[in-house]
Amino acid sequence: MAKIMIVDDALFMRQMLAKILIAEGHEICAEATNAKEAVEKFKTVRPDLVTMDIVMPLMEELDGIGAVNEIMKLDPKAKILIVSAMSQQPIVVEAIRLGARDFLSKPVNPQRLKEVVKSILTEPLG
Amino acid sequence: MQESYREIFLSESQEYLKNISNCLVRLENNAGDIESLNEIFRCTHTLKGMSATMGYDKIAQLSHQMENLLDELRSQRKEVTTEIIDILFTCTDVLEQFIQDIRLKRDSTIEIVGYVAALQKFLTGDIPAEKTRPLTATSTSKEIELDPADQAKAKAAQDSGLNVCRAKILIAENCLMKEARAFLIITHLQRLGEILQANPSIEDIKAGRFEQAFTIFLISKESKEAIHKDILNISEVEAVSIVPVETEMKTHAVKHQAPQGQAAAQAQTEHSYIKKIQSMRIPVQRLDRIMNLIGELTIAKIQLVQQVQSAKIEPLEEISLTLDRLTSTLQDEMMQTRLLPASYVLDPFGRVVRDLSKKQNKEVDLEITGSEIELDRVVLEEIGDPLIHLLRNAIDHGIESPEERQAKGKDPKGKIAIKVSRQKGQISIEISDNGRGVSVAKVKEKAIKKGIITELEAENLDDKKILDIIALPGFSTAKEVTDISGRGVGLDVVKIKLESLGGRLDFESKLDVGTRFFLTLPLTLAIIKAMLVQVQGEILAVPLMNIRETIKIKRHEIKLVQNFQVIKVRDEVIPILHMDKELGIPSVSDELETTNDGLPLVIIEYEKRALGLMVNKIVGEQDIVVKPLPSFVKKTKGIAGATILGDGRVALILDIMSLRG
Repeated sequence: MAKIMIVDDALFMRQMLAKILIAEGHEICAEATNAKEAVEKFKTVRPDLVTMDIVMPLMEELDGIGAVNEIMKLDPKAKILIVSAMSQQPIVVEAIRLGARDFLSKPVNPQRLKEVVKSILTEPLG
Repeated sequence: MQESYREIFLSESQEYLKNISNCLVRLENNAGDIESLNEIFRCTHTLKGMSATMGYDKIAQLSHQMENLLDELRSQRKEVTTEIIDILFTCTDVLEQFIQDIRLKRDSTIEIVGYVAALQKFLTGDIPAEKTRPLTATSTSKEIELDPADQAKAKAAQDSGLNVCRAKILIAENCLMKEARAFLIITHLQRLGEILQANPSIEDIKAGRFEQAFTIFLISKESKEAIHKDILNISEVEAVSIVPVETEMKTHAVKHQAPQGQAAAQAQTEHSYIKKIQSMRIPVQRLDRIMNLIGELTIAKIQLVQQVQSAKIEPLEEISLTLDRLTSTLQDEMMQTRLLPASYVLDPFGRVVRDLSKKQNKEVDLEITGSEIELDRVVLEEIGDPLIHLLRNAIDHGIESPEERQAKGKDPKGKIAIKVSRQKGQISIEISDNGRGVSVAKVKEKAIKKGIITELEAENLDDKKILDIIALPGFSTAKEVTDISGRGVGLDVVKIKLESLGGRLDFESKLDVGTRFFLTLPLTLAIIKAMLVQVQGEILAVPLMNIRETIKIKRHEIKLVQNFQVIKVRDEVIPILHMDKELGIPSVSDELETTNDGLPLVIIEYEKRALGLMVNKIVGEQDIVVKPLPSFVKKTKGIAGATILGDGRVALILDIMSLRG
């Protein structure tokens, strides 16, 4: 199945997402805890999909939006799924503008996560 | 799932709350500290996500409301005020309480309504944004037609072989982020082709100003079927109807399609996923077990080294060297896993100082340096309370009220500094305040009144000795018992705690200048450096930390003063203890009397005073693994523990503190 990189500063969220995705038959090829690390790892592992929390530490240096931007520059075909809280709509919109494929709001509903991941990976015209 | 994630949730949320608290203190001191504000926001945000996922709704609700307020602060729509800081502190405490309840697996009875309302008060307009959002009603009964201007454009596109269609898109009713969802769909459509017209307008759609459905006229080279499939694939799109636009314009009924139901593929396929672990949490018990094993290994190593030395077997020598190197490295490495930065204990102090000084109507700045220095976990856990006690003392008795300070010509804001530093094999923590200091005269007066010393004794004691009295049990200089300190738990408790950890408490104080406490602590409690000495037939270990020096003395140099044996070393009179007599070790020989090149004397130090220990022989320096004594011999005077030597013999570890008595 697909190689997925999980970006989230909370170990809890990473584990949760990983568990659901692995159960779906995907491979978690990398995990990152901040934006900078996410970009670095993206360069080397080139995942099929990135799940990205947009509010993360090291915000001054590079924030989640910055990471989306960097990743999209590295690979315009990169598939990024934003995982965010409901109050972050403007940031989510910005991420979509930069090329993020979809978003999920926390609390993450496992069923929705599965559907969204499946839909991004099978986008017929994407 | 709940159970397996509970532990991670608890420990992570605890960290976040601690972080929030620390940053709040920083923010209060400097309202322009954007970094701290961002950090608080991030922590609150993450906490909200985590708790919502775990189903802890109250935590999620409260942190959500906090986040809203924080966002206002962050975007500078609201100013950081003391009231806001206060409510945020209060809410953090409430969250802490929730976490505590979860940890103890008990049902929370805390009501958050009041706190949420309090937070709400600070928010703009007092009304949730959703209610003020204007709703542009979209008629669903009548289909929308293309504007005449766009009709020409549509016709031109069709003529050049492109498809023009009208897409009516229905978004899921429970869609949580409508704006973002709409924006995503629009972005998606723009990738497929050109949007000719939209109803409501693109701007309204992007801003979420539509009920559940919107209509788009799209020019695309993709077929109707492909567009349909593509849009439907976007999550939270409930239904799509695509109708080719005929430039002659005919209305079409909207066909709602059943939501795409995706069967949950729950196939549990075993997948190898290897990732580099960069940090981990280790159960404390496991660490302790490993530590114990390493202790045993160290003993085995020493045994081997000694065997080889005596048997002189060449090849074994090298192996023993390797073993030596390996175990030493392993021991060092293992030691590191027990270490935690001092900030673990020091960070919450900002909050402590804030709360205490507020209660006392005093203004106090706290300055912490060296909080990154690492200490043994056990030491760290143990010194938290003594440190807080000293901090309380400083705020309670040390720092004066702003008025009093001003009258004295001091800065109305008092200052407490905590300085952690690492010295050879020791950690030193210094707590100083620039308050009123301890009055020697008052201490003297009180000590006499309390019968701790007689008037005659008071006359003979120097200032330093008088000051030392405040660390004696049952002494407190506070005029009255306050809420925070002076409840009979005094400096003596701090002192005893430190000594039980193999550390020391020293202090100095100057009237109206301030008081300074010095805490000296061992780096670790598990393995210590010790000097092995022989007393008659027994081997004793004296912690190196306590030793000032070892010298050889001549019998005639020992003098008698008031029935005590003393010796003069560099103009200092040092009392001498005969270890065999002190510990009741039977004499096996009269060696003390016969040695010619001098008697070995180990000079130990406590409270800046010295004591000479008379021993038979100095064996040497060695790392020893401290084994606690079983309870039935625990209280033996002069003995702190035991260790196993290379040859398997047991050596007792001297307890310097209990010797002086």
